[in-house]
Amino acid sequence: MKPSTIATALLGLACSAFASSQQSTVKLPADFKPPQVFKNANLVHIISLEKNYVKEQVNVLIENTAAEPQEEYFLPFTADQLSRVGGFEVKDRKDTAAGPFTVDVVNYDSASSTQYYRIRLPAPLKSGGQQTLGITFYYLSAYRPLPASIPQEATQYLSYEFSPYAQSAYPTVKQKTEVKAASATIPDYTKVEGHGDVAEFPQKQGSKLTYGPFGEKAAGASLPASVRFEFNKPVTHISELERDIEVSHWGGNVAFEERYVLHHQGANLSSQFNRVKWAQSQYFNPASHALKEMRFPLQVGSVDTYFTDTIGNVSTSRFRSNKREALLELKPRYPIFGGWKYPFTIGWNSNAANFVRKTATGGFVFKAPFLEGPKQAEGVEYENINVRVLLPEGAENVKLLADVPESSIVETTVDVHKTYLDTIGRTAVTIKARNLVDEFKDRDLIIYYEVPSAMTLRKPLVIFASFLTVYAAAWAIGKVEVGFGQK
Amino acid sequence: MAVATQGASSGINGQNTRTLLRVSILFLIAAAAVASRLFSVIRFESIIHEFDPWFNFRATKYLVANGFYKFWDWFDDRTWHPLGRVTGGTLYPGLMVTSGVIYHALRALTVPVDIRNICVLLAPAFSGLTAYAAYLLTNEMTTSSSAGLLAAAFMGITPGYISRSVAGSYDNEAIAIFLLVFTFYLWIKALKLGSMLWGALCALFYGYMVASWGGYAFITCILPLHAFVLIGMGRFSNRLYVSYTTWYALGTLASMQIPFVGFLPVKTSEHMPALGIFGFVQLVGFLQYVRSSMSAKQFKTFVITVIVGAVGIGLAGLVGLTSLGYIAPWSGRFYSLWDTGYAKIHIPIIASVSEHQPTAWPAFFFDLNMLIWLFPAGVYLCFQDLRDEHVFVVVYALFGSYFAGVMVRLMLTLTPIVCVAAAMAASQILDTYLSAKKPNVEEVADAGSTDAKPVKTSGLRVASKPAVGIFTFVSKALVVGGMAVYLLLFVSHCTWVTSNAYSSPSVVLASRMPDGSQHIIDDYREAYQWLRQNTKEDAKIMSWWDYGYQIGGMADRPTLVDNNTWNNTHIATVGKAMSSSEEVSYPIMRQHEVDYVLVVFGGLLGYSGDDINKFLWMVRIAEGIWPEEVKERNFFTSRGEYRVDAEATDTMKNSLMYKMSYYNYHSLFPAGQTVDRVRGSRLPDQGPVLNTIEEAYTTENWIIRIYKVKDLDNVGRDLFSAASFDRGQKKKSSKKKGPRVLRVD
Repeated sequence: MKPSTIATALLGLACSAFASSQQSTVKLPADFKPPQVFKNANLVHIISLEKNYVKEQVNVLIENTAAEPQEEYFLPFTADQLSRVGGFEVKDRKDTAAGPFTVDVVNYDSASSTQYYRIRLPAPLKSGGQQTLGITFYYLSAYRPLPASIPQEATQYLSYEFSPYAQSAYPTVKQKTEVKAASATIPDYTKVEGHGDVAEFPQKQGSKLTYGPFGEKAAGASLPASVRFEFNKPVTHISELERDIEVSHWGGNVAFEERYVLHHQGANLSSQFNRVKWAQSQYFNPASHALKEMRFPLQVGSVDTYFTDTIGNVSTSRFRSNKREALLELKPRYPIFGGWKYPFTIGWNSNAANFVRKTATGGFVFKAPFLEGPKQAEGVEYENINVRVLLPEGAENVKLLADVPESSIVETTVDVHKTYLDTIGRTAVTIKARNLVDEFKDRDLIIYYEVPSAMTLRKPLVIFASFLTVYAAAWAIGKVEVGFGQK
Repeated sequence: MAVATQGASSGINGQNTRTLLRVSILFLIAAAAVASRLFSVIRFESIIHEFDPWFNFRATKYLVANGFYKFWDWFDDRTWHPLGRVTGGTLYPGLMVTSGVIYHALRALTVPVDIRNICVLLAPAFSGLTAYAAYLLTNEMTTSSSAGLLAAAFMGITPGYISRSVAGSYDNEAIAIFLLVFTFYLWIKALKLGSMLWGALCALFYGYMVASWGGYAFITCILPLHAFVLIGMGRFSNRLYVSYTTWYALGTLASMQIPFVGFLPVKTSEHMPALGIFGFVQLVGFLQYVRSSMSAKQFKTFVITVIVGAVGIGLAGLVGLTSLGYIAPWSGRFYSLWDTGYAKIHIPIIASVSEHQPTAWPAFFFDLNMLIWLFPAGVYLCFQDLRDEHVFVVVYALFGSYFAGVMVRLMLTLTPIVCVAAAMAASQILDTYLSAKKPNVEEVADAGSTDAKPVKTSGLRVASKPAVGIFTFVSKALVVGGMAVYLLLFVSHCTWVTSNAYSSPSVVLASRMPDGSQHIIDDYREAYQWLRQNTKEDAKIMSWWDYGYQIGGMADRPTLVDNNTWNNTHIATVGKAMSSSEEVSYPIMRQHEVDYVLVVFGGLLGYSGDDINKFLWMVRIAEGIWPEEVKERNFFTSRGEYRVDAEATDTMKNSLMYKMSYYNYHSLFPAGQTVDRVRGSRLPDQGPVLNTIEEAYTTENWIIRIYKVKDLDNVGRDLFSAASFDRGQKKKSSKKKGPRVLRVD
């Protein structure tokens, strides 16, 4: 994409308001009930348990049963689920060009056990009309290890609770739920009574369990079920990620620093850590639920990487950098088992030319991934994300576009941060997001800003003037006669 | 640099050039001093070293986070559990406050510097200032302009000082040596000028010194001694009176502002010389005044009565107050300065610290290199024209040498005067031999004739001496060349010593991989980080006191004992728990709410600074309190050997320390090949069995082993039977009484 096109796109964007906190919630009266204006003609619910977060896809054919055109579709969640759900995205399965679906959290009665997401259709659906929605969302901290504590070398099993009837605020005519586990070893799963010619659900094919198809179910129908499957991989949960990006025009550099608080939410150790067993098992390198290593694929051209924690540099890291990749491999100080915690910091520098472009109109466009983070086969989930971009001193007219689900963004602020001999401070863009997973790694964060040229020269002039003042003061003080003259 | 300053041409232009040269040389020396201390940062990282600095770092962080007043009143309940420590009142705050001020100043300039980096780089930064202070002090001693610069250069790079001031060595000495030298400079200045202003400045820096380091007692004793020697030499003057009185009055008041010092300056014997000389100076001053208004005969009797009376009353008062307990007698640490064997017998805790050992002779050469033989020459030069300030050098040299010989650690206080004296000697040589001018014959003859006459001018002889010099170029070149070679050797020695002996953080160990690349052994931090992240916030950690500060600083967990060693009994308790059997240790650990026990074990890696090697000190310290229960003799075999293998005594094998060190260790090796690489001994195949504690974490190279103290058994069994049940051993059948069969032996 040409920089100028990005700029125009951004300028045309001017979408949501900045410089003020923005929350994608809708206020509705406390006794709110979704109007029964739709029915789900057909619904396929895919629960993917392959990563250490749960990815759920609800592909639903909705039909407007009311007389008037409708544009608001509600999806219910329990209060507990609502705090852990994230990355909520909606697409039209038939027509990819169908405009953006805006998704909001409905804010009506915080004590209610059922909460809603509201999907606003791009165009009102006329009476009797049908539309196919592809709804995707993720649950974090979704599993419970069972047994909760296991020996160091044992295999870890996780259990997940769900409902074979997909959650819906509307009656569903026909539905099917597929559960994809991480492995074919599924020792326990709930069996439910069959429907039609199948005597009993689910049908198991390898690592896939299929519940349904079921017949018509009323709105809010639910059936408790659980599945317990082998997951001998770490259940990595990042409770806090602070990502600082500092753009320097003078230095021609973009500095990244990321601070992670990492938890392992898998099975705890049933007895204390045994070094002998651990050292012996390392010869065979078996699959283990302990987290031993993380790999961060950084942007090509990243340099000066570091890996530290609260008590200093961690020497067990390796950085491979060449024309094609820049891979940072980290080993924590100790293998991380279930219930253990490891906060750490990584950082690197990169040439500003890779991230910042000048537009024809004189402004700048900064583009970087919203999220980088480790690339792990088992996936990584992020509970709180705080991305802060420090633009040069005096940057103004800031516009930004974060290509992550809008309902995950909690707050966006533009304020001022003073550092490195700043006089008026740098413009700091802070984006707080919640409940994202590593599938959003490649989404972009694009910021447009302008820096007046007077601002660029500000710092050298200020420093020059301060030194001059110091010298002048020193000279003046040196001229003062103190004490009694000896003449 | 001598060449640079030799270019003696008068006139304002030459003056300016020389000043510029001198300033730039001083800056270069300061830069060299800083740079040579950065080995560890470059080789490892910006990290706080060793043990005590970790406490200072932690205290600094507390100061920065909570402000000065909170820091002043800081009661720390995370050390010395369950006693706690009145930290704010038992530390020298100078260091932390200095870093805190720098931190806030940089913050005010919006320079985002991590407090850790300030702490790490404080010592090198102050070493640059120390070099400058040495320059000033030396310039007071001699008129040679090169001596000061040489002294600054020596001070900057001599290993005796570097040993305590490398980057990361964030200890009180980091700033105290600068304050020591600078206070001495101000004292000399005050004495020379008889100036109250300089005396007050001296007192001010003395106060700063008191706030920074316990070694301030050195100044408290050297200055009165200098004054006393001067009076004894019949050199009492109003200058001495003014400077000493100003310094003592203001300095003592300043020192009493520090809570940790408080009333010590009027209550302890270490401070009594200063007080006594203060009185003596008043007395002498009074006598001087009386003499001016009395006849000689009357004066004589008057003097005798007054002196006898005053000294008698003073001594009687001192003895009386000491015996009544108002004045504390000399502390144990002080006694060990006079008798090097004292600590070993009476206070094992002092003797157990390696830096309190008497100095080995090679250490002088190691730390000071050629300065140690230039040093006496410099002191001799002071005798040549023995002005007041030269007396100071002589006094300082004598006492500094003695103390440096008694305690390794006091090498540090000797180093400044060695640098000053050696610089005087070196500059004397260089000034004489570097002179480009060739003396002509008549001048020499003149000089000879003037020398024949007795010259009475004592001061400034060097300056007033006619320019007599060396004739031949060969001897000049030879001597100067030789000196240059020595100086170069000195530089290379200093660099070598700094890089090899003094730049290891000791928290991080470096080793070499087979391919020559550096491999970092980071077990300490691995264990501390594990403790910090995976134990509960207030889990009490028991370890030997050496690791107390590190656990507090890096693991952020409460400890039982630490390097502050203020409570010998508490340390002995830990020593007893470590050296007794589990039956004895477990109740002790329960009583102190210990959650984890941390031991250092170097057997796998051959790391010799481990707890088994320190074990005898634990035994000795515990024996000092419980001679009935812990006996050092029982840890030695009948042949008097300290062994850990199959031959070890039962007491040794049953001690908690032994069990914790070797627990499960045998399972790393094939049968019969279990080896302790530190002590080079083969261990039995049957490892020790633990009942009351369980292994919680062992680091990658086994250097740190952490054990969890088991909670009481759920079913009410004692932990020994519970543990043996878990091991699958049947209960001893003796309890189950079946029909007894008559046993026939």
